[in-house]
Amino acid sequence: MTRSRNTIAAVRSATAAMGTRFEIVVASTDGYSTQPIVEEALREIADLHGRLTRFSADSLISHINRTASFRPVRLDAGTFALLAAAQAVCRQSGGAFDVAMGSGSMILDESACTVALSSPAVKLDLGGIAKGYALDRAAALLRENGVTAALLHGGTSSVVAIGSPPDAAAWRVALAHGHRFPFIDLCDAALGVSRPHAQIIAEHTHITDARNGAHIAAKRFAVVVGPSACLADAWSTALAVLGERPPGLSRDWTTFIELEHE
Amino acid sequence: MNKSDRRAFIAQSAGALAGMALLPDITFAVPVRRGATRKIAIVGTGRQGRAIIDELRKLDAVEVAAICDIVPARLKAGAERAPAAEAFADYQQLLAKRTDVEAVVVATPTHLHKDIALAALNAKKHVYCEAPLAASSADCKAITDAVAGADKALVFQVGMYDRANPIYQRARLLARSDSLRDVVSVYAQSHHKTTWRVPGPDTLNWRLDPAVSIGLAGEEGTHQFDVATWLRNKYPVRISGAGAIRLHDDGRRMADTISVQLFWDDGVVMNYQATLANSYGGTYEVVNGTNGSLRLAGTHGWMFKEADAATQGWEVYATRQQFFNEEGIVLIADATKLAAQGRLKEGGGLEHPPLYYAIAAFANSLINAAPIVCTASEGARAATIGMLANQAVLAGGTVDVPPFV
Repeated sequence: MTRSRNTIAAVRSATAAMGTRFEIVVASTDGYSTQPIVEEALREIADLHGRLTRFSADSLISHINRTASFRPVRLDAGTFALLAAAQAVCRQSGGAFDVAMGSGSMILDESACTVALSSPAVKLDLGGIAKGYALDRAAALLRENGVTAALLHGGTSSVVAIGSPPDAAAWRVALAHGHRFPFIDLCDAALGVSRPHAQIIAEHTHITDARNGAHIAAKRFAVVVGPSACLADAWSTALAVLGERPPGLSRDWTTFIELEHE
Repeated sequence: MNKSDRRAFIAQSAGALAGMALLPDITFAVPVRRGATRKIAIVGTGRQGRAIIDELRKLDAVEVAAICDIVPARLKAGAERAPAAEAFADYQQLLAKRTDVEAVVVATPTHLHKDIALAALNAKKHVYCEAPLAASSADCKAITDAVAGADKALVFQVGMYDRANPIYQRARLLARSDSLRDVVSVYAQSHHKTTWRVPGPDTLNWRLDPAVSIGLAGEEGTHQFDVATWLRNKYPVRISGAGAIRLHDDGRRMADTISVQLFWDDGVVMNYQATLANSYGGTYEVVNGTNGSLRLAGTHGWMFKEADAATQGWEVYATRQQFFNEEGIVLIADATKLAAQGRLKEGGGLEHPPLYYAIAAFANSLINAAPIVCTASEGARAATIGMLANQAVLAGGTVDVPPFV
């Protein structure tokens, strides 16, 4: 951090949330003023972790999972929009991505701004979308506070680029070695990566086919680039499950899917 | 009896034991709606105000009808949390226009509480005022005087939310029983790594303004000193303090790291550490007694028994967690209810953020005339301890606590 107003420096800070590490890098000529903006964005991510994790009894999602099968739960506008986005991706992907795990579904009522669950056997799990959503919210806060060049990521699998670095046309994000796409250039865009084999727990991969509960065995690598990290996060999971681009996906989105070699 | 039946039986018996050992059992009451929903206004929609809106939304009996903030970005963020609420930039206009509002939540910077609280009381509104209650003795007195002179039917609750936390309430019973026996010492800390600065106009950085801020001791310490005084039912007689800037040497005059000691007349000492330069361990309180220790950390609490302490009964069946060489017995807030459902082992963490229980308690006082969990005078005493601790830190010395009436 520098207090000089002439040189461009990076203000960099991080927080642990959603089982991973979120990091924000802002190009700035005034580190003193930028630091609290970065902290505000990280606080937003930490708050969203507290609301959206299913691993804490006191989160909003745990509250929904406990009570929404008995009566609808009132939501704020942001959480409602997030669940509506998840439901839209579920529909467009033929159920390949679904935040409602178990037998049953999530019922959204837009006029009442509520969510209900069709049965106590269904639970919401936002693991495939919350990281991207948190990054979108953090990026919006940075923009509101005048930031024009920044890179944000959550566990390196969800990325948002605001503008471009001062000395380049885009933020260059390196993907894993050995792929046809070694890097991707991002400028005012978001990236979501799904690599089922990246987090193998026992014999299971961490990506589940929401349509039948099966774990994805193929080593598929899906990359999605588009206007929102929340949707990029969800679509990368859907594409890793589907193995191909669904016909309904808007032209705003660039997708890469490949089968990894042993 | 098969294996799972036996497990359920044991769990239920354990719950019954827990209930007996700890009578009166802490049963948390969700305020039940009676007639129309009760309308509440939120003044101050920063992070705390928005968190309060989130918890109010869980209660059917109330609705957020109006919100107010002088900072447009914060008002907009508040509107996202309470889309149906009418938004105001001026609390006087809110009070003048929304006469249907019954209660006002004051969640502004501490030094601005007094004027809003007094205006709300004057307009005959119930008030939930965030803690610390105020940033000066004069403001504390003005508020307690106004409450004393107001209609007795009006609820005035101060946001010392630990007092409403079911785990802390259980801990308070344990601290006064043979589980702890005689208090030996108290330790608490609040560790964060942050500048404490927020983006926006200078007025938003009131925490770092020595003219209005009561520092780390006041803003963070007040809550944790109150846990100790409330568990002990006894105020300290003397406070000493020291502070330094260990990380944020950015021109500020407020210490970013402090040490405070609270002394009681029976020889018990509370050691307190707060910093903005390190996050290790976060925020928690420990009460050590001759029979065991209690560790409280917001949504979670544990008891650690001395090897020579007698078995109380309930703890035999409780969930345990390992802390390096120590084994913590998990404190559960609603053991009897969980045991009845065969879910005793699931207990441990609160089902809502601690703030929820304070907000629900306020709604309960409003609707069902339930006792107020932290009155204006209790809140004023807690704020006074925080302010005296801040004075001790600023002086790098010791201050006497005047006897509270």
